Amino acid sequence: MTEAQFEPRIAAFFCNWCTYGGADLAGVSRLQYPTNLRAIRIPCTGRMNPNFIMQAFRQGADGVWVSGCHPGDCHYIAGNLYARRRFTVFKNLLEYAGLEPGRLHFSWISSAEASKFQQTVIEVTDAVRALGPAQHLIKDIRKVA
Amino acid sequence: MTTKARQQDPVGAVMVVGGGVAAIQASLDLADTGYLVYLVEKTPAIGGAMSQLDKTFPTNDCSMCILSPKLVECGRHPNIQILTQAEVQSIEGQAGDFRVKLKQQARYISLEKCIACGACAEKCPKKVDDEFNRGLNKRKAAYVKYPQAVPLKYTIDKDNCIYFQKGKCKACEKICPAGAVEFAQEDAQLELNVGAVIVAAGFRPYDPSPFAQYSYSRFANVVTALEFERILSASGPWMGHLVRPGDEKEPQKIAWLQCVGSRDINNCDHPYCSSVCCMYAIKEAVIAKEHSHGGLDATIFFMDMRTFGKDFERTYEGAKERGVRFVRSRVHSISELPDKSLRLEYATEEGEARTEDFDMVVLSQGLEVDPATAQLCQDLGVELASTQFVKSGSFSPVATSREGVYVCGALAGPKDIPLSVMEASAAACAAGGNLTAARGSLVSLPEITPQRDVKGESPQVGVFVCSCGINIAGVVDVKAVMDYAATLPGVAYVENNLFTCSQDTQDKMAQVIKDQGLNRIVVAACSPRTHEPLFQETLKAAGLNKYLFDLANIRNQDSWVHANEPEKATDKAKDLVRMAVAKASLLEPLSEAKLSILPKAMVIGGGLSGLNAALELTRQGFETHMVERDAQLGGNARLLRVTAQGEDVQAYLAELIAKAQAEPLLKLHLDTAIKEVSGFVGNFKTTLAGPAGEELIEHGAAVIATGAAERRPTEYLYGQDPRVMTHLELDAALLTGELTPQKVGGAVFIQCVGSREPERPYCSKVCCTHTVESAIHLKEHNPDCRVTVFYRDMRTFAERELLYKKARELGVLFVRYHLDSKPQVSLQDGRLLVTALDPILGREIELEADLLCLASAIVSHKDESLAQMFKVPLDQDGWFLEAHVKLRPVDFATDGVFMAGLAHYPKPIEEAIAQAQAAVSRAVTVLSKTEMWLSGTVAFIDPKKCVGCGVCWEICPYQAISPDEHGLAVANAALCKGCGTCVASCRSGAPNLKGFSNQDVMAQITAMLQG
Amino acid sequence: MEAIAQKIREAAKKLLSEGKVDVVIGYAKGSVPMREYPYFAYTPEEAENLTWSSFCCNNLALYTIRRPGRMAVVAQGCVSRNLVNLINENQIKRENLYVIGLNSPGMVDRRKVQALFPGKTITEVIEEPEHLLVKGQGFEERIERKKFLRSNCLTCVQRNPVISDELIGQAGPEGHGGNIDNVAAPWEKLIPAERWAEMQETFKDCIRCYACRDACPLCYCYVCFVDEAQPQWCAKSQDEADVMTFHLLRAFHCAGRCTDCGTCESACPQGIKMRRLTSKIEKDIRELYGYRPGMEIGAQPPMSLFKPNDPQDFIK
Repeated sequence: MTEAQFEPRIAAFFCNWCTYGGADLAGVSRLQYPTNLRAIRIPCTGRMNPNFIMQAFRQGADGVWVSGCHPGDCHYIAGNLYARRRFTVFKNLLEYAGLEPGRLHFSWISSAEASKFQQTVIEVTDAVRALGPAQHLIKDIRKVA
Repeated sequence: MTTKARQQDPVGAVMVVGGGVAAIQASLDLADTGYLVYLVEKTPAIGGAMSQLDKTFPTNDCSMCILSPKLVECGRHPNIQILTQAEVQSIEGQAGDFRVKLKQQARYISLEKCIACGACAEKCPKKVDDEFNRGLNKRKAAYVKYPQAVPLKYTIDKDNCIYFQKGKCKACEKICPAGAVEFAQEDAQLELNVGAVIVAAGFRPYDPSPFAQYSYSRFANVVTALEFERILSASGPWMGHLVRPGDEKEPQKIAWLQCVGSRDINNCDHPYCSSVCCMYAIKEAVIAKEHSHGGLDATIFFMDMRTFGKDFERTYEGAKERGVRFVRSRVHSISELPDKSLRLEYATEEGEARTEDFDMVVLSQGLEVDPATAQLCQDLGVELASTQFVKSGSFSPVATSREGVYVCGALAGPKDIPLSVMEASAAACAAGGNLTAARGSLVSLPEITPQRDVKGESPQVGVFVCSCGINIAGVVDVKAVMDYAATLPGVAYVENNLFTCSQDTQDKMAQVIKDQGLNRIVVAACSPRTHEPLFQETLKAAGLNKYLFDLANIRNQDSWVHANEPEKATDKAKDLVRMAVAKASLLEPLSEAKLSILPKAMVIGGGLSGLNAALELTRQGFETHMVERDAQLGGNARLLRVTAQGEDVQAYLAELIAKAQAEPLLKLHLDTAIKEVSGFVGNFKTTLAGPAGEELIEHGAAVIATGAAERRPTEYLYGQDPRVMTHLELDAALLTGELTPQKVGGAVFIQCVGSREPERPYCSKVCCTHTVESAIHLKEHNPDCRVTVFYRDMRTFAERELLYKKARELGVLFVRYHLDSKPQVSLQDGRLLVTALDPILGREIELEADLLCLASAIVSHKDESLAQMFKVPLDQDGWFLEAHVKLRPVDFATDGVFMAGLAHYPKPIEEAIAQAQAAVSRAVTVLSKTEMWLSGTVAFIDPKKCVGCGVCWEICPYQAISPDEHGLAVANAALCKGCGTCVASCRSGAPNLKGFSNQDVMAQITAMLQG
Repeated sequence: MEAIAQKIREAAKKLLSEGKVDVVIGYAKGSVPMREYPYFAYTPEEAENLTWSSFCCNNLALYTIRRPGRMAVVAQGCVSRNLVNLINENQIKRENLYVIGLNSPGMVDRRKVQALFPGKTITEVIEEPEHLLVKGQGFEERIERKKFLRSNCLTCVQRNPVISDELIGQAGPEGHGGNIDNVAAPWEKLIPAERWAEMQETFKDCIRCYACRDACPLCYCYVCFVDEAQPQWCAKSQDEADVMTFHLLRAFHCAGRCTDCGTCESACPQGIKMRRLTSKIEKDIRELYGYRPGMEIGAQPPMSLFKPNDPQDFIK
């Protein structure tokens, strides 16, 4: 597979109130972006269990992107700020263990930031595409069955 | 029994005239508090001007997106009857018992039969200018007002219909698959009996055609602001592509001209300011820059930038940073160039003549009252002001001259959406308050379809794939998605709809769910953020638990953003449907806990807003506790002299306090602080600490009206010379007679003292009017008094502009200053001197003042502890932050807590009172119920897995989790907001979030990556 | 060592005979050398079996969790820190706990000792002040104690108990000369591919027996994530992805709690050096949030806290 052909699969997790709204607004504004990501709506980045990131990589995602409200904008007061520590430690751990920087992304995008949303999708997609297909942590059912 | 006339109960119904956002909000509030509402709209669909806007300032929310759920709620509300194409002809009777005569035009298409398929419009041979798009494109004579219209039913425009005009055609009748076309329909006369009437007929955008110098009617690329909204709108004539109408080319340079039809008595008789144009022009300029491909040059020509609302000033500054150019000048002529571009001639502030070419010109047209509406008001006996807006007093901002008839929204003066919504709730409060005895008398209890028990059934998923007209189907191969969905495990039924959200499709869907025995529903359409509640209602109507639902967002996050990659977009749609089906298959019915509501209220703050809220609550029969930290009532109003309309504040306040003291249902707690708050909507427990010790009060709702303070200036020799004083001090001095205008030879006012500064980047909103009003007072009582006002922008918005005009006529001198060259104040031999640069004269001027009044900022109390106790947020400037800036201006995200007055943002008396009434209206939607149901999307904790480590209860942002007697965590569903932070923090897997469970998300991840 | 052991026995007997506690949790001599094991003395007589040596590697805090009644625990620095953790996590009550505190001399890694005598069976190890006399069939060798310490003990900076009701012996030096920063997170200097190769090498022998988890005083959930079926976070196979998932998520669950007591490595039958992974978490928590677990009763753990200005450079 050449790099030009490689279309990465990116698992995205957006909080309902900010980034999911920003993604909706990008739609309303008809901002075009690559088709690689599939989003799961969660109420808040505070809901984001690091196990979900793990599961996405285990299922073969080439990249994972988690995005929520800017600090101070959390619909649930501070869910994103608790999440921030969780993400910091977990991302450091995964990358320490050999996950390539550029596979796991985090951002704060408000429901009004459609163009930031669009830009970030492009950035994340490019970064993951440049790394090629994911190699680690993939639970290959066929291999172990 | 005496022979005296029997005191009759009022009629428990209210008529709301108009169909815009104000009318909708008033209707919803009334319907939710137990009244039957007749919503009377002139056109074929509700939605008003807001439905035509692209975005709303200052948050740039999509206007239609936030309005649409309200439209739908209105359309579905069992207590609201929408009468479209109907006009009021007369009102007889009196408050409490009106008889209203209406004329309703024939629609010629049956509301019952029309399925909104659009075949009639497609077939109709007659093209007509589309009013919704301001004539920028065409519609047919058989048409629907706009795609999201409520009711979503077609109509035949008789004046343009070929059959009606020429006697033959009937193409629509032949094509209609539902047999809905009924040419035999006739106009109807209706008579309805209501207890009160709310007139919310809105405004009409000023038509600049008569403005010769702008040549609006002559040059194609001169457009009005509302036309520009339609150009920007994704649903507009050019699908949101920024083009100019003349040649459909993308403009590179656009000019906005402010005050077209506002602040102008030469070209039109509109001396008032239209309040909203500065903000919408900024919004349009910023959005246009975002839409533009080649870095649009956007310039706004203005007289004063009036960005006086919450977060408006930040938007203004943000626009400057994003490269919007602001030029302080009135353009005096426009000419057209051979390439259809436009040449503008104007004079700079310094008096220099300039010529500049633009590709396109947008006229920031003002708001005016439609003469037909004005005539209607007069016919109804509702008095109008000289501006033609409905007249109302500052102390009763939504009452008209006719008892029992109320007004709200732009008809009561030019205003923006949040203020219209606030007034709408206020009008609902005022109207409903009079009819308390008849509350609930005419409404039927919502029919609750018994829920089918789906336990033990295997998932039977119904998938409804929406085409959204061509919004989805134009990109995504909807048929392929349907075929794919049918192959997924658990899917029992698949259907495609043109508009899944339309009312008729919803009704059909409910039937399909029943007929097919479906037990999980997936809709592949737009965003759950806007449409989930609507579809959930349909599930309920079909007897299915509403949580057995998931929405695959194949429009906003697929077809709209991958317009040029139809194959990939179709693949993505399939993936999203697969994920939704995987999640839906795992969903379980959730129960919503029932809460009893204590019909008592607490009002925090005893100023004007608090007093109004409390007295309105007691008038509606609710026991109310008022908590005031001061030993006396009245707040800032104790120091105010008159309102902008000249009404005596002290007399009014005295009357209000006397009423409060005499009111048996009102318990006053003066000199009292709030120590602790626990509980939740319907069941708050608040501990007060007062002179008599601590007291626990239980209440069902709370209104926060804690006000704000006038900042004590640190500049301009304040505190060092007794002649330097603030507005409140000046008012107080005039009230006590300590100062008389006759003694003032020279008075100077300095505006924006502490406002619109980097440290406090907001406008305090009331100071310009206060200054002008004080200046007039001085001049009227002492014409020889030299009065000078140093200002940055005069922000005498709406009808306050008339005061500004009057002040200038009386000889008050207005001198502008820049932030970087503020006036200097000095003392020389006991003389108080003010020196400043006059930008017009271009030289320094020096004035001697006997009085220097500083228009000092209004600052928040930044009451963080109160905010924390009630679990409500403050914004960055310390103002209480509403649930939604546009459409929920007095609500908090926390249920059962509302706000009014200066605690929200600086505002004049009439707005504070309207907001107090609005807060009551919203509070009554809670208090008037004996019970309510909580969200099912809450955390629950598995006691078998919990180890009691405490992480969850330490981090829960709502303190909804606490340890039980065994030390294990228990979540309180009434406090839980469903954020799920506890779930993600727990190592033991004990908490889970219903509706977003670990299982659900894991299934979605697996399904996502399995394809 | 024996003198300390004697004092422990005396203290234990006193506590048990006076009825101050229901049980004294300490160490007893193993049936094979270098394998001291956790011992529960319920009577003064049983207290005679308590010991103290260079091989007290189990973290006794584990055995206090949810144990009813009053108990005394023999606690060197790391054990005491885990007791503090458990108090903070509501798993034990301070008032039910009697801490027999003592300075840890640093425990000896039996594998390092055994490695000196490949293929030979060690039958006895005699404790001397600075040395160990290792005996077996046909050999006897005196080795320098500190050269054989467990690696976590080498870099320990909290040898004395952070809480104690009674101190056995003298408080000793807190450190032992090693610098944690020289050894923590050893793969940080590697590139991603090398890091992954180290991960693979480190965990290749894992047999998923969960001895590490079962010995860890932080792992006290009723249901461990690896055992959950709904949803299944991690399958039970020895597939690389599953092994890595287990160790990564277990390490993450210890964030802000791990005292680097080394019990996991001591307990592992395969000799896996999981501290190469867990030390990264310990280091991050220390450097990012300035927190060292188990040092203070009542301290708010860093993962259930936030500061407005927490680092977030990685967030777009």
